[in-house]
Amino acid sequence: MTTATRAEPPADPGRRAQSEGKRSERNLGWWLCAPAALVMLLVTGWPIVYSVLLSLQRYDLRFPDRRGWVWLENYVTVLTSPFWWQAFGVTMVITVISVVLELVLGMAIALVMYRTLLGRGLMRTAVLVPYGIVTVAAAFGWRYAWTPGTGWLAGLLPAGDAPLTQQWPAIFIIILAEVWKTTPFMALLLMAGLALVPEDALKAAAMDGAGPWQRFRMITLPLMKPAILAALLFRTLDAFRIFDNIYILTNGAQGTSSVSVIAYHNLIGGLNLGIGSTMSVLIFVTVAVIAFVFVKGLGTSTPGQSGGRR
Amino acid sequence: MRLRRAVRPPAALTAALALTAGLLAGCGGDDGGPRVVNLYNAPQENIDAIVRRCNAQAGGRYRIALNTLPRGADDQREQLVRRLAAGDTGLDVLGLDVTWTAELAEAGWIREWIGADAARARQGTLPGPLETATWQDKLYAAPYNTNVQLLWYRSDLIPNPPTTWSGLMRESARLKRAGKPHYGQVPGAQYEGIVVWFNSLVASAGGSILSENGERVTLGPPAQTALRTMRAFARSAAADPSLSNTKEDEARLAVESGRGAYEINWPFVYASMAANRPELLRNFRWAPYPGIDGAGRAPLGGGNFAVSAYSKLPRQSFEAALCLRDPESQRIAATRDGLPPTIESVYRAEGMTQAYPMRDTILAALRTAAPRPKTPTYQNVSTVMAVALSPPAAIDPQGTLRTMREQIDDALQSKGVIP
Amino acid sequence: MEADRRVVARWGAINLLVLLYALVPVLWIASLSFKDPATITDGHFVPRSWTLDNYKGIFKNDDFVRGLVNSIGIGLISTVIAILVGTMAAYAVARLDFPGKSLVLGFSLLIAMFPQISLVTPLFQIWRGIGLFNTWPGLILPYITFALPLTIYTLSTFFREIPWDLEKAAKMDGATPFQAFRLVIAPLAAPGVVTTAILAFIVCWNDFLFAISLTSSSAARTAPATISFFTGSSQFEDPTGSIAAAAMVITVPIVVFVLFFQRRIVSGLTSGAVKG
Repeated sequence: MTTATRAEPPADPGRRAQSEGKRSERNLGWWLCAPAALVMLLVTGWPIVYSVLLSLQRYDLRFPDRRGWVWLENYVTVLTSPFWWQAFGVTMVITVISVVLELVLGMAIALVMYRTLLGRGLMRTAVLVPYGIVTVAAAFGWRYAWTPGTGWLAGLLPAGDAPLTQQWPAIFIIILAEVWKTTPFMALLLMAGLALVPEDALKAAAMDGAGPWQRFRMITLPLMKPAILAALLFRTLDAFRIFDNIYILTNGAQGTSSVSVIAYHNLIGGLNLGIGSTMSVLIFVTVAVIAFVFVKGLGTSTPGQSGGRR
Repeated sequence: MRLRRAVRPPAALTAALALTAGLLAGCGGDDGGPRVVNLYNAPQENIDAIVRRCNAQAGGRYRIALNTLPRGADDQREQLVRRLAAGDTGLDVLGLDVTWTAELAEAGWIREWIGADAARARQGTLPGPLETATWQDKLYAAPYNTNVQLLWYRSDLIPNPPTTWSGLMRESARLKRAGKPHYGQVPGAQYEGIVVWFNSLVASAGGSILSENGERVTLGPPAQTALRTMRAFARSAAADPSLSNTKEDEARLAVESGRGAYEINWPFVYASMAANRPELLRNFRWAPYPGIDGAGRAPLGGGNFAVSAYSKLPRQSFEAALCLRDPESQRIAATRDGLPPTIESVYRAEGMTQAYPMRDTILAALRTAAPRPKTPTYQNVSTVMAVALSPPAAIDPQGTLRTMREQIDDALQSKGVIP
Repeated sequence: MEADRRVVARWGAINLLVLLYALVPVLWIASLSFKDPATITDGHFVPRSWTLDNYKGIFKNDDFVRGLVNSIGIGLISTVIAILVGTMAAYAVARLDFPGKSLVLGFSLLIAMFPQISLVTPLFQIWRGIGLFNTWPGLILPYITFALPLTIYTLSTFFREIPWDLEKAAKMDGATPFQAFRLVIAPLAAPGVVTTAILAFIVCWNDFLFAISLTSSSAARTAPATISFFTGSSQFEDPTGSIAAAAMVITVPIVVFVLFFQRRIVSGLTSGAVKG
């Protein structure tokens, strides 16, 4: 990744000359980073390799005797399965729509938090509530809200409508739950971006007769582009791996599985390690492609924020 | 006991942990008290009474600790198989849905019943339920309760219950013309229930989904007939607009609320009607499951007790399982929780007349009831069928049959993807 | 004057919208958790009759109590280790010049974007093999891994803002780089570390996928997973009230924490993003 164009510590010519100090600094750096790197490698590196190995085998826990190498057969099975492509499509739809909504809504909330005249602290505190709530807890809230009889939102619908049991209404509710939970995070990232827009430039533009919308489009947006792209990258990848909300809201019924949910079902429900691993590898590859497109195609400079929300 | 593998938590938490651990695992192991047999079962309101009775009978040889599984059958199965896959020794007696026997037996996760235990499990047990506990001619569980779906109808709307699906559709059309409640409630949502419906229709038409040994797809013309019937029903005056969201519970509620004229459901609806709408109970009657041209073959459900292959107390577990399903336990389950017994003599036991006015119909239905296909991959087979059959109004007899055949074939070879 | 009041009113209305957005769904769960079984399916937003039975019930539920203990224990241990290990790495990244630095950063970024589901299959299999399945360490290890990127990035941002001249002074006085780190910088960095610890704890506390995939019983199952497996007292009764109450129990402490440290968390969440 092209991340590490970070500020180096200011060179100190007096000390730099001593190669002794330099070597000890290098060693210290390595020693300090070693445990972190080791843990991350241990927990992700070997499992990924192992996952690739498993994906090349027929390995169903219910038929332990029939285990064997099948090379790419699992990939053929998954890539020709309508269920996989449906899950892939659903994931894409959820990702694109929720990220767009989050961007628009997040920008609006960021502007409110940044510009509001009253209760700025209160605003910033309130939007942290969705961020702090456990996804599963929030998902149960949404599920009951849309359950006929029990829910206050379902009560607004015509009688007999059970939106969570129909594909598109259910996907819409999944998006709603996802957007509600993550927009505040987006808003905070964007608000930090807003802080980088110099007031002077906005004032000058206002003098020149630019309206609020023009100022936003011509000055604020371009200056915020790096922050927006970075936030988009992280939210896109985060939305792509959506699991908790779907598991609680529909558990993938009626064609609402995401790729993560379908992989989970094939592994834990189907006990099919071969197919489950194949899906794992495919999801990993897709995420890598998305990240690549963002970084190379759009020139996103990946920031120091990891969006590790789940 | 189960705590042994967990890492020791920091000191501050140890007290709380010890407390909960004591409650959880029963900790009977080494202190001279009775050995703890862990029972995992689906939620059943009064199973406590049965467990207490068996513990009293055990006389200190073992003590059954009840662990309740989630409500949904899929969630129950998921929890069990995950622990069995991990070789968890904390499971002893397992309450299994009738469709899981083959899967768990083939994977080597449950023990075969042999000798005296097997003989006691077979004694007096109805052949249909016994068959669901068998895989490749070996007994892997002891039948606990059985279940059959019947036709439940309001005699004030339908004086003479039809015996066929086309008859039901005609009744609905008649009621609709008369401006009366005319919906027939059938589990038509995308879940196991719709597979149960299809399976019974195929069996009623004289066919089957899989071959006897569970290795080949059969389907064929009877399946065509079944698909045509489902489609016709879903497009007839009988079909509630919410048919494709209806599960057993929705069907029950729709009839209780007066929206449906009849329903296809398990016998628990009777007790529920008595509790919720006593004024409707007088006209709430039952009839055999409808067929294609003659008598139908009702869906067969129920639960069996198996013993985990990883249990450290197999002797006590078999004994506990036998006690949990003996005639007296089954009588308690039947009269207090409405679970139909698997031992024939229990149907004549005391209290059954009041709780089970429909017991003769149930016994008759059990003789011809259609079990679901037996295969270790039943989970996958059922899932792909439910998708193919849903929504029933959109069934295309030719196309659906073709897709279903291909997908079941893949599922049987465990190379299919489940959604 | 008139215009001012209109502006204030407009902002008031907008703020109210944001407040409703943030709070209504949470209030709905709270409302469910206070309803009694008779009115829980009435669909009213405000309970018509209030009860605390749902809360009493879940604290009598051993599995839930055990799940809470697991969640707190696993979350704390993971956070402490992630902070220890992450602080070291973040210090190195922020202050030292050494080859391989970009590799460390790039790798943690990779982890931050990593799809967790891709780890579930192999970890399920490996953990079963080496006996970590359904144990505390079986969850702690992945939690540390996914908390580390956040820790390293957030902390290194905090560290850059520390007046490093003090460190230089300490070194002039003959302290080794490690002594300078321990005696001078660590106390200065403490507030940033606390903030990061809260964020890392939230990551662990919020996890669901690993918690349901890598555990099988209440020996290690965390609270969110326990809640999703709640059973009603009978086959046909949904445990809505208990789930709502349990959802509140696992939510409220975190929300209170977050609100209490609001200013710090906002800066922790955002500082890395713009200054990168």
